[in-house]
Amino acid sequence: MSYARMRECTINRAYHLLIGLMLIAVSVISQTVYAEELGYPEKEELKFGFIKLTDMAPIAIAYENGYFEDEGLYVTIEAQANWKVLLDGVIDGQLDGAHMLAGQPLAATIGFGTKAHIITPFSMDLNGNGITVSNDIWQQMKEYIPKMEDGRPVHPIKADALKPVVEKYKENGKPFNMGMVFPVSTHNYELRYWLAAGGIHPGYYAPLKGDISGQIDADALLSVTPPPQMPATLEAGTIYGYCVGEPWNQQAVFKGIGVPVITDYEIWKNNPEKVFGITAEFAEKYPNTTVRLTRALIRAAMWLDENDNANRPAAVKILSQSNYVGADYDVIANSMTGTFEYEKGDKREVPDFNVFFRYNATYPYYSDAIWYLSQMRRWGQIAADKSDDWYKETAAEVYRPDIYTTAAKSLIAEGLAKAEDFPDFATESGFKPPQPEFIDGITFDGSKPNEYLEKFPIGLKQGDEV
Amino acid sequence: MIRNIFTTLQALVIPLIGMIVFIMLWSMAASNINTSLGKFPGPQAVLTQFSALYTEHKAERVKEKAFIQRQVERNAKRVAADPDYVPKMRAYTGKETFLDQIITSLVTVSCGFLLAALIAVPLGISIGLSKTLNTAFNPIIQIFKPVSPLAWLPLVTMVVSALYATPDPVVPKSFLNSMITVTLCCLWPMVINTSVGVASINIDLVNVSRVLRLPALKHVQKIVLPASIPMIFTGMRLSLGIAWMVLIAAEMLAQNPGLGKFVWDEFQNGSSDSLSRILAAVFVIGFIGFLLDQGMRQIQRLLSWDKSTASR
Amino acid sequence: MNEILNISGVVMDFPTPKGPFTALNNINLKIAEGEFVSLIGHSGCGKSTVLNIVAGLHQATNGGVILNGKEVSEPGPERAVVFQNHSLLPWLTAYQNVELAVKQVFKNTKSKVEMQAWIKHNLNLVHMDHAMHKKPDELSGGMKQRVGIARALAMQPEILLMDEPFGALDALTRAHMQDTLMEIQNELRNTVIMITHDVDEAVLLSDRIVMMTNGPAATIGEILEINLARPRDRIALAEDTTYTKLRAAVLSFLYEKQRKIEPIAEHAKKKSEMKASNSAAA
Repeated sequence: MSYARMRECTINRAYHLLIGLMLIAVSVISQTVYAEELGYPEKEELKFGFIKLTDMAPIAIAYENGYFEDEGLYVTIEAQANWKVLLDGVIDGQLDGAHMLAGQPLAATIGFGTKAHIITPFSMDLNGNGITVSNDIWQQMKEYIPKMEDGRPVHPIKADALKPVVEKYKENGKPFNMGMVFPVSTHNYELRYWLAAGGIHPGYYAPLKGDISGQIDADALLSVTPPPQMPATLEAGTIYGYCVGEPWNQQAVFKGIGVPVITDYEIWKNNPEKVFGITAEFAEKYPNTTVRLTRALIRAAMWLDENDNANRPAAVKILSQSNYVGADYDVIANSMTGTFEYEKGDKREVPDFNVFFRYNATYPYYSDAIWYLSQMRRWGQIAADKSDDWYKETAAEVYRPDIYTTAAKSLIAEGLAKAEDFPDFATESGFKPPQPEFIDGITFDGSKPNEYLEKFPIGLKQGDEV
Repeated sequence: MIRNIFTTLQALVIPLIGMIVFIMLWSMAASNINTSLGKFPGPQAVLTQFSALYTEHKAERVKEKAFIQRQVERNAKRVAADPDYVPKMRAYTGKETFLDQIITSLVTVSCGFLLAALIAVPLGISIGLSKTLNTAFNPIIQIFKPVSPLAWLPLVTMVVSALYATPDPVVPKSFLNSMITVTLCCLWPMVINTSVGVASINIDLVNVSRVLRLPALKHVQKIVLPASIPMIFTGMRLSLGIAWMVLIAAEMLAQNPGLGKFVWDEFQNGSSDSLSRILAAVFVIGFIGFLLDQGMRQIQRLLSWDKSTASR
Repeated sequence: MNEILNISGVVMDFPTPKGPFTALNNINLKIAEGEFVSLIGHSGCGKSTVLNIVAGLHQATNGGVILNGKEVSEPGPERAVVFQNHSLLPWLTAYQNVELAVKQVFKNTKSKVEMQAWIKHNLNLVHMDHAMHKKPDELSGGMKQRVGIARALAMQPEILLMDEPFGALDALTRAHMQDTLMEIQNELRNTVIMITHDVDEAVLLSDRIVMMTNGPAATIGEILEINLARPRDRIALAEDTTYTKLRAAVLSFLYEKQRKIEPIAEHAKKKSEMKASNSAAA
């Protein structure tokens, strides 16, 4: 290095230092307010896992927009092979936290699968899944679907249209295979809900008897395939249909190998989807870090829904990077920007297909947890009856609105968020009012799970055992 | 003279023609294969991806600089507010580029290979020298040799997780997993070749050593080791070739950082560039494999007295 | 003259699947200091086994070898061996090959400089000083054997054991090597046991020729004193009647008394078999 260059460097450095000091002076005044309440993170280097799905967006955005760094967190984000690997990673500490299926922390905590106490301070999104069938099945289904005047099928399409097809396969002695992403995934429950609502039995689990295939009494045989491999598996003919998150339904349309028949928005309007999971041990050991990462995620979710989804194209651009979701921009954009393409060319508006913040999407409601627990019981993953209190206690063990509230309040205090965008923390009970908007019209009241289970024509009820 | 020029030309022109024919066949075939991810990438698409991957790498380095800068500022801020704080610089948390993945794979394969050599050569020598050890170990080696190292991967992963449970690991577990898998796969060919090399050492050379009454250690150092170097290197070249192949597969399977993960990620991404990126990676993998073999051959040539084994 | 080596009652059995095979039976031989003894016999008669027992590379089943009053139980540099196939370490130069031996034998008695001089001296003796930094691959067969001899001599052995040292060489090279060996012998007066199946070589070099009977259970058939004056000259000797007689005596032992008899019928059968396999291969 020449002398002149060295001098330049020194000057540069001094200049930076000066600016830095000025910045510090300003920020110290503004930051002391919360720095007192909210301490520095105990653990600064974190590694988060995710599965290549568009609903991992809050994590990517929190990283790319510097929200994690604003909290003094240095986060590495790493795609995982499948949900099991991801969960094991969190449990054995290779990952500090991850984008998880809502059912995963619940199942882990009650010990269905690997037992570990996982909690969630942050719900990642609403909706965002779809059910896709292969072109061949679609042709067979089509005759049973009512048409609109323009000849397009009437949506939502119920599984009633699939029932005759499944029956035909059954008569011919051919198994009707469908894919979902994980035994305790939203997709499994949504697919089951949709099938059962149309009179197709998706099969029971019997964990006490060692049967965790979930195919007892089944008309349609459901099995696990990692999300990114869904289209390829469908194309290979191993499965006839699947339920998965985006972009893997839209991918099927683009590749011309399948037709999405229904979105989960139509199965259960504004259903809670992924959560951000960490171990209870992590939250206990690193309380500040936990609150801070929740803050960063809340900010990311806000940004994603800001100004009527105005930032979505920018978000799609980030998600299409190979280290995040990595699918083509157009494929991701399809659902992320408020439309959904069913049959090729049949593009319909679904503005709430991906909700990241509005409708209190990020608040971890106990009632959401209870719905998942109710479905675990309905299909036998929870082998025996449980009291309503058990449901509530389990929900409270896993879902942690307290952490969320601390994070949100500190954001409000700093002026980074508005109080009216959040539930009223003073009165919020964590239970959503009874929700009637399911495809089969059955109302869900989170405070009465056992009563809810009685309403289903297909599914285990009080006293039933497989 | 003319004949000389002719042979040189032949040596240059014939591979060139082969290359051109290959590229032509490839582009022809490529335009006729339609996958659900679009047309199979031709040479042009792969070339484009090479430059795209390089551009990405450079862009990532720029981001890294900004990241470091921000960190410096944040640390300064923190120190001003909290004088007890000992500032720490963290490595860039952004994505690993294609070049980073190449380096990761190379480091992994080298470490695994060296570890294997450290174990295999002494073990092979002991087995080659002692009939008893040979009889004891031979069945084990014969059983483990045909096992695909990938079958070990889950076991390695679990054992590493169990034994290497530090909160702040110096090297990542994933690196250890890949490395140990490579080691396991290198081990057998090296042990076998070394022991065969040692056992088949010319009896006259052993007699020379006996007449000189060389002590055991000196016998190994002066006679056994140099005598079996050609065989040791044959084993090493063999195992390095296998190791490179296995590493890529292990990285794909276990999602451990490296070229294999790059390939798998791209396959999962299913974007319209994925196939050409995978193909670009395939060429790089092949080329590195070739360089590794050539490198070993050069080292072998340098160290081995038996030049004939190095020319193969 | 002093007796230096005493081979007494040596028996050698080799284990085979069909039971022990007696290769040597009752070998008795005394060798005086400075004596050059050749062992001659048909191939397979166990000459090399005798040498290996003296070298300590093989252990006799019965009987033993005493060198300078000490029983031989293992190999050692005081009984240096020149092997039939030179046995140079291919990764070392001629100099380094000799150096390995010198460093081992004189590690406590010679300084570094002395060792260097000693190595060079021995290479000079065998006329290999010009190529001492070449590796065995770069040397001709004769040159390699010269280095092998230099290595053995450099150990300053009490007895030098040579196992058909020139067997693999062409006639001309062999003559050169014999001359060199005689030259060295004149100077050093080493005690030597040499195995050979070349009658001329044996007569030319030896003080005594030990002739062995055919195996199995081979033993010493006759011992012939070669009382030709030294230095000996091969051209002069060709005309010498004593030489011719001695030569004839050896030949008569080998080809009359110990003629290897192969029955004619067997021989013919073998020949026709060979023909058959040859034509089958073609």
